[in-house]
Amino acid sequence: MPSVLLTESIAVELGAVEPWPDDVKLYQPYEVEQILLPDNASCLSVQAFLKMASLDFQVQMRSNAESMSPSGKVPFIRCGAFVVAEMDPIVAFVNTKGIRLNDHLSDAEKADMRAYMSLVNSVLANAELYICWCHNETFQEVTKPRYGSVYPWPLNHVLCWRKKKSIKKKLASVQWLDKSLEEVYEEVNNCCHAVSERLGTQKYFFGERPTELDALVFGHFFSIITTPLPDNRLAATVRGYQNLIDLCKTVDEKFFQKKQEE
Amino acid sequence: MGTVYAKTLIEEEQMKIDENKISLDKIKARVDKVHVDGVGRTKDDILAKAVKDLFQAHNFEELINFFLFLSTLGPEASPDGVEVTFHTVEVRRVVGGVNTLVGNNEGSMVVGMKLPNLGGRGENLQAEYQYGTKRSYGFNATVTKPFIFRGNPRITGAVFQHAADFPWSGFRQIDRGTLLEVAFESAPQIHHSFRWEGIWRELKCALPSTAFAVREETGHSLKSSIKHILTRDTRDNLVLPTAGTFLRLNQELAGLGGDIGFFKQEFEFQFNQNLGYDMILQGSLMGGFMKRTSLDKSFNIADRFFLGGPLSLRGFMMRGVGPHNEDNALGAESYWATGLHLYSPLPFRPGKGGIGELFKTHLFLNVGNIGNFQFSDDYHQNLITLLTNLRLACGAGIVLSVGHVARFELNYCVPIRYQPGDKLNPGLQFGVGVTFL
Repeated sequence: MPSVLLTESIAVELGAVEPWPDDVKLYQPYEVEQILLPDNASCLSVQAFLKMASLDFQVQMRSNAESMSPSGKVPFIRCGAFVVAEMDPIVAFVNTKGIRLNDHLSDAEKADMRAYMSLVNSVLANAELYICWCHNETFQEVTKPRYGSVYPWPLNHVLCWRKKKSIKKKLASVQWLDKSLEEVYEEVNNCCHAVSERLGTQKYFFGERPTELDALVFGHFFSIITTPLPDNRLAATVRGYQNLIDLCKTVDEKFFQKKQEE
Repeated sequence: MGTVYAKTLIEEEQMKIDENKISLDKIKARVDKVHVDGVGRTKDDILAKAVKDLFQAHNFEELINFFLFLSTLGPEASPDGVEVTFHTVEVRRVVGGVNTLVGNNEGSMVVGMKLPNLGGRGENLQAEYQYGTKRSYGFNATVTKPFIFRGNPRITGAVFQHAADFPWSGFRQIDRGTLLEVAFESAPQIHHSFRWEGIWRELKCALPSTAFAVREETGHSLKSSIKHILTRDTRDNLVLPTAGTFLRLNQELAGLGGDIGFFKQEFEFQFNQNLGYDMILQGSLMGGFMKRTSLDKSFNIADRFFLGGPLSLRGFMMRGVGPHNEDNALGAESYWATGLHLYSPLPFRPGKGGIGELFKTHLFLNVGNIGNFQFSDDYHQNLITLLTNLRLACGAGIVLSVGHVARFELNYCVPIRYQPGDKLNPGLQFGVGVTFL
């Protein structure tokens, strides 16, 4: 195995010199009937990041996107011979090509950006997982039918149960499983408050140009406010922060709707 | 085997033999009673069937064909009658074992347990648990119930999980499933097996560098299929036969539930001809094709056919023939392959009559083809399709039979015809396996 890792990393280094190809594809689950809130948030974040960096890609929806992904998580991109999954590795991969969204930041600001990204990842992502998989009403009404929709009986039940088990294990490892729903909303509220404070009245988090933090925040907030759930308190909490909603609108109009019109 | 209590027959007979060597078939004998000692759980109807033939005996010769030891008399016998007593020891209720197994880049430990003759009519319950060095585990639990009707039918049910690596195709497959099988003989030596299988297959990429075409097929699928397997085997040995033929036909219809649907047909034929001077000519032909049966159900890389390897189409790498993507074999929907072997004993016959009989040298010629062929109603056209781009290899080597079950082959191969994209293995090739072409 070490030899494989080594050749992989050498290949990534070599691949860095090549320009961004035309046929890059982003793989994700079906948006209408399959995708769940946490996956939708990360897929939108990556899409927003790539669009902010003006990199061309096509979205490919596959029912088995999760199994296809090298890390087992969506989304992932296929760029030439490389298959890279999840936000952080994709950002790092794009950076090796000399394309950066955070060039205009000072070192302190970069550290700041990393800190906020990690805050969003650790709070919002876990809260989304908690509500989808551990809140019983949401699980029965939304998560289970959607996650199982692409599998035949009885696999839909088996795979859903297996996924739930692994999510619970993951949440338990970060001490989220014991939290009550109220505590989760409290955490979300605190996180939103901190992020909203940082944004203030600026257009983007670091001035006039978007960074990966903007992409990440857009992905999570836009997914939360556009996904209907039986318990809508998550969306309601987020809607309380007008400047964050405005950021979502700006990014949506500038990077998503403009592209569609073209 | 058993003990026969006869009247004074033995002494009389002994005298007669001493006097004028009377042949045993002149002495009348019939079985009045059969005693079976030492039986615990085996049911009477099974024993009755097992000893039924005894009652057919009319004379002593027929009778002693069944037995090794004869002795004294029983109390209530008819004039020529004998009573037969079997002293038996039943199989233990539980048999078990621990083995190690090495294969496909993985070593594993197998813990097995068997409950033979569970209900007294030959029912078996067998369970096996396997734990591999790659932390993969598998199990298999099988229940078998034979019946004593015509055709010796047998019902088998099993649940299982096993994992297998296919490095030549870049994926790892985990199967979890259940099967139900009815097997019987419609005529002597003609075995049928009707089977239903429900298998949940999980495909994973084996390496980060797995071809993207294979990556696209990873994930979960559920195959529910019915199968019919017909086998006729008259060979005298499974690995190095000297006479006999073998025929197997295999039909499978998948798509009764689940998300995999196809119709698959496969055949395998082998003949063996002794040419004299211990030379044996063996010819074999196998092939298969599959097609989709419905629009909404498809099949994937786990279902398709592969060709090539040291015991398949020799001279090519394992799964080395046919469509490839980035060095990974993708498989195809139809194939055929033939093999012609000329076997002879080792030169100068070392170990003749003993270990030397397990070795043979052979010359071989393999021809085959694989692809997603489009067939039509025009048979001539179909034949041309099957014969274009065929692969051909020949060579010579040594075959070793291991336990009359598996075979080792060390061959020198020369691929003669091949197609671009095929992965060749010219020169020395070593193979171990149970099935061969």
